[in-house]
Amino acid sequence: MKRFLLLMLVCTVAVSTLFAAGTTETPAAGSQTKTEIHFWTWRPEDVDFYARQIAIFEAANPDIKVVQTAHKNTEYNTILAAALAGGSGPDVFQGRAYGGLATFADSHYLEPLEQWLPELKNYSPTALLGATSPTDGKIYGSPAVSQTVFMYYNKAIYKELGLSIPKNWAQLIANFEAMKKAGYIPLANGAKDGWTLETMLGGMGPAFYGATDFFTAVVEGKRNFQDPAFIKMIEKMKSLTAYMPNMFMGVSYEDMRANFFNEVAGHLVGGSYEAAYFNTQNPDLYYDVFAIPGEDASKPAPVSVYADMNFAMNAASQKKNASVKFLKFLSSKDFGNSMIRDLKMISSVPGVDASSDPFIARVLELQKNATPFIFLVGFRYQQPTGSSLWQAAAQGVMAGTLTPAQAAKQVQDGIASYYKPFQK
Amino acid sequence: MISDLRFRGAGWGKRLFIFLMMAIMTIYVLLILYPLFNMVISAFKSNREILTKPFGFPQSIGFKNFHTVWVEKGFDRYFANSLLVTGVAMGFVLLFGSMGAYGVSRYRYKANTLVYMLFLSGIMLPLKAAIIPLFIIVKRLGLIDSRISVILIFIAMGLPSTVFILSGFMKGIPLELEYAARIDGCHDFQIYRRIIMPMTAPAIALVTIYNAVPIWNDFFFPLVFLQSNSRKTLPVGLSTFFGQHATNWSLLFTGLSIAILPMLLMYIFMSRYFIKGMTAGAVK
Amino acid sequence: MDVKQLRKAAWIIFFVTPGLMIVGVFILLPLFMSLYNSLFSWNQLLPVEFVGLENFSRLFTKYPYQQRFLNALQNNLIWFLSTMILQNSVGLLFGYLMSRSIPGYQAFKRIFFIPVLFSIIAVGFLWGLYLKPSGLVNNFLGLIGLESLQHAWLGEERFATMAIIMVNIWRWVGFPSLVFLAAIDNVPTECLEAAHLDGVGEWKLFWKIVFPLIIPSITIITVLTVIGSLNVFEQIYTMTGLDGGPNYSTDTIGTLFYRTAFGSVDAGSPEIGIGSAIGVVIYILTFLISLISIRFSRSREVQL
Repeated sequence: MKRFLLLMLVCTVAVSTLFAAGTTETPAAGSQTKTEIHFWTWRPEDVDFYARQIAIFEAANPDIKVVQTAHKNTEYNTILAAALAGGSGPDVFQGRAYGGLATFADSHYLEPLEQWLPELKNYSPTALLGATSPTDGKIYGSPAVSQTVFMYYNKAIYKELGLSIPKNWAQLIANFEAMKKAGYIPLANGAKDGWTLETMLGGMGPAFYGATDFFTAVVEGKRNFQDPAFIKMIEKMKSLTAYMPNMFMGVSYEDMRANFFNEVAGHLVGGSYEAAYFNTQNPDLYYDVFAIPGEDASKPAPVSVYADMNFAMNAASQKKNASVKFLKFLSSKDFGNSMIRDLKMISSVPGVDASSDPFIARVLELQKNATPFIFLVGFRYQQPTGSSLWQAAAQGVMAGTLTPAQAAKQVQDGIASYYKPFQK
Repeated sequence: MISDLRFRGAGWGKRLFIFLMMAIMTIYVLLILYPLFNMVISAFKSNREILTKPFGFPQSIGFKNFHTVWVEKGFDRYFANSLLVTGVAMGFVLLFGSMGAYGVSRYRYKANTLVYMLFLSGIMLPLKAAIIPLFIIVKRLGLIDSRISVILIFIAMGLPSTVFILSGFMKGIPLELEYAARIDGCHDFQIYRRIIMPMTAPAIALVTIYNAVPIWNDFFFPLVFLQSNSRKTLPVGLSTFFGQHATNWSLLFTGLSIAILPMLLMYIFMSRYFIKGMTAGAVK
Repeated sequence: MDVKQLRKAAWIIFFVTPGLMIVGVFILLPLFMSLYNSLFSWNQLLPVEFVGLENFSRLFTKYPYQQRFLNALQNNLIWFLSTMILQNSVGLLFGYLMSRSIPGYQAFKRIFFIPVLFSIIAVGFLWGLYLKPSGLVNNFLGLIGLESLQHAWLGEERFATMAIIMVNIWRWVGFPSLVFLAAIDNVPTECLEAAHLDGVGEWKLFWKIVFPLIIPSITIITVLTVIGSLNVFEQIYTMTGLDGGPNYSTDTIGTLFYRTAFGSVDAGSPEIGIGSAIGVVIYILTFLISLISIRFSRSREVQL
């Protein structure tokens, strides 16, 4: 009995300290005059960057205090949804693009931004598309960064083997063969994580299925994913398995990147977001990127581009004026330049200076032949999304359990279950 | 004594059987200790070492990672919060859980099965499924950003399996013991305290570990309900090492190695309750 | 009602209420609020109108929900059977051996539960390392000359589910072991001694005397296995991802439910109506199967 009483006593004391702690912390001393706004991100790796930027903002706006919280990327949407549905949540936060934006915008949790941020009209239409709800056409986010998908290659290995950037598909395969002979893994990509196969599609697909022409045609329902060009593209993708690592079905995202930055593998189809990671993991890595060419060398090779992130405001925020000030800061040229400089991200802010960074400059040059990242931009608004259908079907193709035609049918049937233009 | 499997005095067949079984169990022990070792040595490696030489020894043994995690990343605070949250939640899980188990297993009444199934139905779907309504309830109670919210949720999460497992064990205790105590003038709570609880000690040790581990390791609910940095728990701290495209494996493993320690200590402490004859002795 | 019965009722209420209150407010209430969502059509995160059982009919009849659901359910069945056959019988064996004080049992008893103490993050990452193409498992197979058996364990459709189940068994087998150990230790030694003096052999001793007496704990383990197998989620999430890759081969109703109700970061938006309908189905299935196993074993319990 004594021990039991002791346990209860401990519990009571613990609970009362909890209450005590709860009450002492709330009124932070001397902050009555400051407006505190909450800012959420899904980038725990960038906490220090945002802390520095917030310090700059607070110095210019001494009456505002910004509290940053970085959530784990994979749980971010769930936590944000719970908080917004519960009528709380942050004032300003990183918002997803396209379908991810529509989820919150169509639920009326996001504040339309055009009247608050007139500068939005200067942004490129491609960037704005990612921040616009297709339902009402309003802009709900200030576009922050775009991503581009292409081929990373190891310049040192290219030099060693006397290779040059391929102009057409045959040359690319020849480069792969040369690397294979020299004992390198020609292409680092694996297939364990389905979404990396969507990246692969974004890298090598457009040249085969016909880039933006095809994209526009499928979105309008004039062509579909069982189109011969699309099936041929899947066949080409499957043919790359000969150059992928041994047992590539088990090679995860972490493993493929490690193989590339450790210079075991010579190529990697990846997004522009990888550059910063490579630089931190292996500062000596000598790499560059190219757009993956199709069979015809006369046409410039397209790259898939998508808006990746924007800054949004909570429609229920009680501190909209302070939040708008912070949003304007996040949409400023200075902030955009810092993103380029510190994070190697391709800022969507108009007029940012990319020349200081050769990698970004190269990405912007490739973006001249941009095409929408097909499933993410066009078919991620409803379940089953084009992305999820493709990711699974592509795994089937790579493993050999589905033929390219079967995979194309799976994707087509899945989207057709809700997509009106496909139901005609 | 018959109840020992010993080599001495055993026939060849039995010896072979014992040897084989020991071999299997020893292999399992190795399969447990290696990952544990692997996790701890990873705490001493850099991120690149973990990704390139996951099974090798660290290049140097230094406690830099531990210092970073504990001091710079504020894990001292997270650790204390986790201890507090898990400790208080477990205290109530065991108290209310054993009471509930007693209430469903030691009485005969019509609603018995209903109460039992009500408790049990609390683990039939992960609570994560109901995060939005749960958020609204917690907000109504004014408990957002208070550690009490997670404590209450953890108590609720731990109760169903506790009631379920303990009532299974309590059912097996002969009724005569209870009658004897009643004749001595004990009321129901005294019977629960002095007779039933001591006799279910091994099962209580079991449910303690069974529930404390998921509570200790859960990052989802603290992540949703605790916003102030000063109230966050250890798993929330760990979750910050997962970036969107870059995970800090070396600090993560340092954190994980720190996080498993209290559970190991608790387990070693609890395992002394798995002593044979403790309950059997009480029956006599 | 007489005083005695009133007193009994008061005691029952005293014992049961605190627990039921907390479970009711923090689990059952939100859970039912969320399952109620299955009766509505949704525009993103907002309910639009009451549609009755339409979400259920879509789930059971429409492509691709029907295919995904049946595929996932099949995997849950594999989980249940493998866990019962492999994990729980090994657990019973280990528990019995330890109760019979096999040499080293003190150490085994203290070590077998350690995997349960690991955070799922550590389990997912470490076993991911061991099972990957260049991982320890394949290295070991190479070492003993079995290169032909090397596989991408988590990447091939025919192995992935089994690989995750094996890891889960590695993690959890200590739990049934200790439950059975505690249960067998509860069997009065006199019973065993008397049987032994009568010349009952080891095998018969176990099946005729020990086994019937530990049926309550077998019920516990069976019901927990039912619930566990129908709720498999984290294991898949950490090892092959929310989409149950490759090509849905490791998908379970838990992962299907989560990504339908909440959406997944890499693949898409939430569909709360159908997601909640899946939740309801999981709930009903778990409830019924648990109830059946409890009833079934109650009829076989032996009182001392």
